[in-house]
Amino acid sequence: MTEPLIALDGITRVYRVGGEEVRALDGVSFEIARGEWVAIVGQSGSGKSTLMNVLGLLDTPTAGSYRLSGQDVAGLDDDTLADVRNREIGFIFQTFQLLPRASAVQNVELPLVYRGVPRRERRARAEEALRAVGLDNRMKHKPNELSGGQRQRVAIARALVGEPSLLLADEPTGNLDSATGEEIVRLFGELHGRGHTILLVTHEPRLAARCPRAIRISDGRIVADGPGCDIAALGAPKAVAG
Amino acid sequence: MTGRGERRRSHGIPTTQGARGAPRALTELGEGVRIAFSALAGHRLRSALTTLGIVIGVMTVIAIVAIIQGLNQSFEAQIQNFGAHTVYVAKHPFVSVDEEWWKLRNRRNLGRRELEAIQRESRVAVAVAPMTFVRSTVGAGGRDLESVQVNGTNQDYPATGGGTVRAGRFLADSDVELARPVAVLGADVADELFPGPPDAALGKKLRVAGRPFTVVGVLERKGQLLGIPMDANVSIPFTAFGRIFGDKRSLAIAVAAPPGEVTALEDELTSILRRARAVSPEKPDDFNLNRQDQFLKVYRQLTGALYGVAIGVGIITLVVGGIGIMNIMLVSVHERTREIGVRRALGARRRTILLQFLVESSVVAALGGALGTALGLAVAQAIAMLSPLAAAATPSAIGLGLGFSAAVGLLFGSWPAWRAANLDPVEALRWE
Repeated sequence: MTEPLIALDGITRVYRVGGEEVRALDGVSFEIARGEWVAIVGQSGSGKSTLMNVLGLLDTPTAGSYRLSGQDVAGLDDDTLADVRNREIGFIFQTFQLLPRASAVQNVELPLVYRGVPRRERRARAEEALRAVGLDNRMKHKPNELSGGQRQRVAIARALVGEPSLLLADEPTGNLDSATGEEIVRLFGELHGRGHTILLVTHEPRLAARCPRAIRISDGRIVADGPGCDIAALGAPKAVAG
Repeated sequence: MTGRGERRRSHGIPTTQGARGAPRALTELGEGVRIAFSALAGHRLRSALTTLGIVIGVMTVIAIVAIIQGLNQSFEAQIQNFGAHTVYVAKHPFVSVDEEWWKLRNRRNLGRRELEAIQRESRVAVAVAPMTFVRSTVGAGGRDLESVQVNGTNQDYPATGGGTVRAGRFLADSDVELARPVAVLGADVADELFPGPPDAALGKKLRVAGRPFTVVGVLERKGQLLGIPMDANVSIPFTAFGRIFGDKRSLAIAVAAPPGEVTALEDELTSILRRARAVSPEKPDDFNLNRQDQFLKVYRQLTGALYGVAIGVGIITLVVGGIGIMNIMLVSVHERTREIGVRRALGARRRTILLQFLVESSVVAALGGALGTALGLAVAQAIAMLSPLAAAATPSAIGLGLGFSAAVGLLFGSWPAWRAANLDPVEALRWE
């Protein structure tokens, strides 16, 4: 594994808000190898959401280079970015972001639809992904017929179904009670054990402490990078209960 | 697309197996249609109201067009009652569009002099028949029919497109020469006075304006022309007609030409008539040469105007309907901002989103168009049943209705769809 999955070098993202420049990211550089489980931790406004959008190819940095699997993504056109997102990145959102009118299995199928996978194969793979997250008997349920934890499992199945290189989770436990959140974290642990690369964006030091590695970001800059438990302890003198 | 994918793979990003290229467009289209129907099903009332404008517009156009086409068909069948190669010489034009009536009202009548001049001098004419008529009472036995058209004519009348004999014979030269009291009945008169087979009337006694006549023939049924029944008439020799009703009446003269020589006949008739009526060279003609296609011309002007109105009304309602669709599509895009963000994050391209919303708007519009077409045809049928108007729906009208409404859906759906496709995924995902 010579080449890192993610290599950021001097990533800067500047917004203009009413004539004023806001540096959401200011020269961020790090590498993530395949198979790592990394937390990006920081308080709201620290730039971690912008970082997640850049990593997820939803946002384009103002400066710096981003290499995904060795390929510089700068200058890729919008269609190619959509294709790379489809193949390489599995998104998991705080608010699940499931389509309300579609059943669990239809939601999970979606990335394969945009890849042109034939209906039958699509259905089979979606069902397999749902089984992998323990939802064997909830396939036909609509999101509003599922609990929060089940919804997040559907979202994780949707992220997994296309076998992406990277799982990108944004506050995945933020809308869940602590017991359900714990189940989801354990599920991430399992996925990590199976070799998935996971990037988890969170403001909760406790969650960061569960990850083998954590990167702390503040005011758009990396302030610490090390084992999860160290970073969590270092950054949380007064623990904010989540 | 495939090329780009392959190149990316060679750069080392591991990609999973799965179909690429052509099937993707199909899968996306299928997904677009599925989403469209599920979105429509999710908002049934809203979708129905949205498409109402299109329904009404298409219904109006289809109904009007079906009726115009029905009129055309029956008119063109009726116009065959006039001889196709016949010139009708008369004091006035059949249909006067822009000539001033006061210029026409002082024209001299056409009479026997003109008739005989044509009979004597024309080399092109194959049949020359005088045409004059009054409305009078016609009876037989104990029955009297009021206000029957009594035609005074001669033996050439059938050859100028005046009708076909069904039973017996038409008037003969000698009937005209001797002013014999013989009559040929139109189909309605024969049915009314002598029910039974058509030859039941032959040889029977008939009263025309109180004078005794003998029936020698019955004509084939002609139907109607512009709503006027063409079979409630009796034809008698114009010489006999003159004795009963006076011979100072104005004649029209029907002159038939061999096929293809109508223009030559018109030239010839013009010079014969100018000489017979002593029109001095510097004066314009004081008579008219009429042909059936003049009817057609006026008729086409009329229906052309109707078509214009139908198309105008249709376009206005379709634009109104289209604005309704645009409005609801903008609402739909707005409501589904997050869904659009999710789809973009999961790998939907801009044009996939564009396609999804275009499919949705054209499905709404096309459903409206189909419903409007069905209703329009039903309305046209109802009008045809309840009124003397005919209705005929041609496939082209139906295709036009459906095509137009789908086009409206595409046209008015394209701006909302464009807005959807160009949403920033980051903003869209954050949408509350």
